[in-house]
Amino acid sequence: MDPITLFSIIKGGLVLGALYALMATGLSLVWTTLGIFNFAHGAFIALGAYVAWQFASADAYGLPLGLALAVTTGVMFAIGAVIHFLLVKPFERRADVVLITVITTLAGSAILENALLLIWGPRSKQIPELVEGTVAVAEFQLAWSEVLLLVVVLAILIGLGLFLRYTRPGRSMRAVSQNREAAQLLGLDVPIYFALAFGLSAVTAGLAGVFVGTIRFMNPAMGAEPLMKALIVVIFGGIARFSSPIYAAFIIGLLEAFSIYVFGLYWAPAVLFLTMIVVLLIKPEGLFGKYQRTL
Amino acid sequence: MRYDPSLHRTQGLLPLLIALAALIVYPFVFDATYFRHVVILAFVFAIVATSWDLSLGFGGLFNFAHVALFAVGIYTYAILAKTLGFSPWLSILAGGGTAAFVALLIALPVLRLDGIYVILVTIALSQLIYLVVISSSDVTGGTSGMVTLPTLTIGDYRLSRDGRIGYYFVGLALLVANLGFLYWVTRSRLGRSIVALRDNKYYAIARGISEARTRALTLMASAVFTGMAGAFYAAYLRVASPDAFGIGFLTLLLSILLVGGAGTIWGPVLAAFAISVASEWLSGFGAWQNIIIALAIILIVVFYPGGLWAALQELRQAADGARTSLMARWRRRERPAREALTGAPERMLETPHGSIAIADTGGDKPALLFLHGNSACKEAFCKQFRAFSDAYRVISFDYPGHGVSSNADPETSYNIPAYAEIAETVLADCGISEVYVFGWSLGGYVALELAARGNITVKALGITGTSPLNMVPDDFGRGYNPDSHLVLASKQYFSRTESDNYANSATAPISEESAFLHRNLRRTDGRARFYMLGRLGVVDWPRQMRMLREGRIPFAILNGSDDPFLNHDYIARLKYGNLWNGSPQDIPNGRHAPFFNQPDAFNLELFRFLKSADR
Amino acid sequence: MADPILQVTDLSGGYDPVQIFRDINLSVGAGESIGIFGPNGHGKTTLLKTLSGLIDPWSGDIRFDGQQMNRSGARGSRRWQNFNYDAITRRRMDPKTVARAGLIHVQQGNLLFPELTVDETLSISTRAASGRQGWSRADVLGLFPRLSERLVHKIRFLSGGERQMVSVAAGLLSAPRMLILDEPTLGLSPKVRSELCDAIVTVRETGLPIILIDQDVAFLERIIDRLYLFDHGRISRVMERDEIPGHEGLMAMLFGEVT
Repeated sequence: MDPITLFSIIKGGLVLGALYALMATGLSLVWTTLGIFNFAHGAFIALGAYVAWQFASADAYGLPLGLALAVTTGVMFAIGAVIHFLLVKPFERRADVVLITVITTLAGSAILENALLLIWGPRSKQIPELVEGTVAVAEFQLAWSEVLLLVVVLAILIGLGLFLRYTRPGRSMRAVSQNREAAQLLGLDVPIYFALAFGLSAVTAGLAGVFVGTIRFMNPAMGAEPLMKALIVVIFGGIARFSSPIYAAFIIGLLEAFSIYVFGLYWAPAVLFLTMIVVLLIKPEGLFGKYQRTL
Repeated sequence: MRYDPSLHRTQGLLPLLIALAALIVYPFVFDATYFRHVVILAFVFAIVATSWDLSLGFGGLFNFAHVALFAVGIYTYAILAKTLGFSPWLSILAGGGTAAFVALLIALPVLRLDGIYVILVTIALSQLIYLVVISSSDVTGGTSGMVTLPTLTIGDYRLSRDGRIGYYFVGLALLVANLGFLYWVTRSRLGRSIVALRDNKYYAIARGISEARTRALTLMASAVFTGMAGAFYAAYLRVASPDAFGIGFLTLLLSILLVGGAGTIWGPVLAAFAISVASEWLSGFGAWQNIIIALAIILIVVFYPGGLWAALQELRQAADGARTSLMARWRRRERPAREALTGAPERMLETPHGSIAIADTGGDKPALLFLHGNSACKEAFCKQFRAFSDAYRVISFDYPGHGVSSNADPETSYNIPAYAEIAETVLADCGISEVYVFGWSLGGYVALELAARGNITVKALGITGTSPLNMVPDDFGRGYNPDSHLVLASKQYFSRTESDNYANSATAPISEESAFLHRNLRRTDGRARFYMLGRLGVVDWPRQMRMLREGRIPFAILNGSDDPFLNHDYIARLKYGNLWNGSPQDIPNGRHAPFFNQPDAFNLELFRFLKSADR
Repeated sequence: MADPILQVTDLSGGYDPVQIFRDINLSVGAGESIGIFGPNGHGKTTLLKTLSGLIDPWSGDIRFDGQQMNRSGARGSRRWQNFNYDAITRRRMDPKTVARAGLIHVQQGNLLFPELTVDETLSISTRAASGRQGWSRADVLGLFPRLSERLVHKIRFLSGGERQMVSVAAGLLSAPRMLILDEPTLGLSPKVRSELCDAIVTVRETGLPIILIDQDVAFLERIIDRLYLFDHGRISRVMERDEIPGHEGLMAMLFGEVT
């Protein structure tokens, strides 16, 4: 293998890993905080892409890109919080909340996807590239858009980590996730922090959708595959803590890039899944996981 | 042990046969292919959803690879019947076999996991199967799938002819076989183990249930008919496509399961028909179809957490309430017959717990109140009315939901303290402040509660067929014989057999004399039984025992020596402060209602007790 | 007695459908402290959980600082689950509202937030509540000097006594107007125990009303003005501090009638 191929495999792996990390973080944020899985996460990804397209594309409002992204962030946060109050909060006290929210979020996902279809129609769309051109060092080529993706994802993840560690709302969110009852007894407003977690999760999903939308054509069901990938990342890494899916995402991204090179496009996903199942057979709680969930 | 009789002993069989007959007649009434097509799909969905319910609802095992098992059946059929040229019928059976085998493979990693991890791993496994299928495109046709699969034939007759009537009946037969299988499994040892592991895992394991073995068997049992349904689906549509793995299909089946009601066999069957029909009906609305169905699912989950099955139960409950209420109203017209039986005039009293029928001999004599048992009526004491009315003012009344009293709000009125409160109201209305009280069975608790409340001066207190309890529910099993027909005491709906069984044990075997008691049983509001037992926790049991230990009130226990419900040893061992003759008095051959079965011996004893209490 | 800060009237409750306690009447005046003494398993903790809103009461009223804590008359919904109707007339309460009104419940054997450090826990508890003078972080660390050395440690790694101290400290930082302490000294070593007891006495001396559940009568006598004897889910006797007959005497009152 020559260095340029190796470089491009690693580059592809890191880009994939960054995307997966962004998707999986949102999923695991909701799981660690609320103890449920949000199957509408895939729909959030699609929604983020469409909202960004609506504001950014020259065919629609055509706002400057930065502004469009800011608006998308706000819209996604609001939608995430609303979805929490509609689809999750009513079932909080039920014993079978995990299963019930699987079905309500699946239903919510169906509603969102079909709403996308109704609003924007079935025709494929694409978001314009965020930045153009490439940077080349010697013979190693790197597109600016890839650099931007890596930088933005890392910035979001680090920012989220700092928020959780050093700010009062972040710490309160962790407290709520670790002991709901004790948090209530200290006067913390649990539903607000749950909505916050849902909103942040929707924002990360939406931004992931924007990146996906610049790479591929968009359609309302575009979230299904990333959702599966995010699930694999989360299962693979374990969902014990906020950071474990992030490592897992990069490992999976690199693994995928290498196995595409070695086994070909068709068999690469099967190799991924097989690796994951072997990991789970040895360590059911995931690579970095512990059974206890904590944020 | 939970009382769980088979279908033919309750009222379950008849509706089932009617539904089956309707499904058999259906294709002849609606002979358009399209109408049959919708129902054939409903058969398939019903099989897959009910099988899934075995692991998910009964077992609490969130196997999200269940849909993949269905797909395994599809591809087994496609490969065996088309590529390898096997008989299509054999291929359908083989579909069940391969699905069960794959289920075993799925079970392996799942054995060590719990809760959400099971969901995650099974989703991953189903994706793995999906990827294997689309990757081996030379065998499975990859993403485009396989088409023109062989159809089912009998001899030269193709089942798709005559408007697919052949497929219709094969599908129906498969559904019936599947339901029979599930019914058998859930009632077998395995089924009980599955539920036991779901409800209290560690207790079940401690009792010797193997978790790994049960889980593996659960998944395999849920796979057999799923795989066969998949094969049948492939034979019917003649295509095998990887769409079956998709999230859309998963959502459809999961919503059938939850809308129908997880943990029941019949709920998902209902929902499969409802959702297939609704979905076809809405198919003209494009994207709105899915939105409307998704909204409906959310609304059902919010308002009917137990699903359609629970909604049906509420409907049945409302119907039964209306039936018993009408019966009570109707029977009020038979007042002369009742008055002839007791010799006391009957009147109605409006209380916060509904209108209450009172029989009161009146007069200025000492008052003696009789309180009847569960699902009985005041006329049960007709023999006492006649024997005691010379010396006493004998009073009895029907509880709400019993006899000719009206039905009442089950939440507030069908419990022991409420009955005691009614007794106070009735006595106040009769202008009585001092009373002798005798309670039978449930009435015994009402009597104890009435005395313990202390709002009325109870001069003497007698009970029969009642075990005083310290702790509920702990002492309940000790005070009674759990093998008797007492298990029926809290059952909401009685079949004929159950009604006869209960009346025979609780009162007297049917005869001309006791016929009215048997007849009355069918009027009792089923909710009165159900709620009374469910609300045992609101009674202040230690207060009743304190009252008995303190012994301020003369107290007698007059039990039938052969009472089938009671644990006589338990009653004899309790501490009482002021028990007449120092021990419970047995009426020979009195059974659960000695005052009715052996009236002379009973009346004598009760009379002697009342006299001794005056001294 | 002037207007009571906490007034509990005819309170009944439990875990549906089993009633745990009934007809509880408590009244705590401003600056007053009370104790509850009774055998284990008779429902004391359930009562406290109801006071702080973790469990909805079945009937009765809870007034704190002149404010009704339970929204009365709200009716529980009917639920169908495993073939059981499960419904009860409930009065809904919200633990957050109760805590924000200043009634702070320090739970028994509280794990708090195992993955948060002591420092983080104290920082989320600080509430500059509406004009209420509360304890500052420095006050709390002065009260529990041990905690200053443990600020960067996760609560998971603390000893039982230190966890209890963090619990009390977090409660004090939430601007309490009254503190509910549920067996704070349970299972602690004698040295840590006496440290914690002294700290609670110090808190008491600031005039903060306390409801204290404890099995140690000597400790109770240092804190409380009045003792409620709790027996089989009801209050069987109320006595002033100088009437308390000591541990043996209390036990005789509780179990005398049986033996």
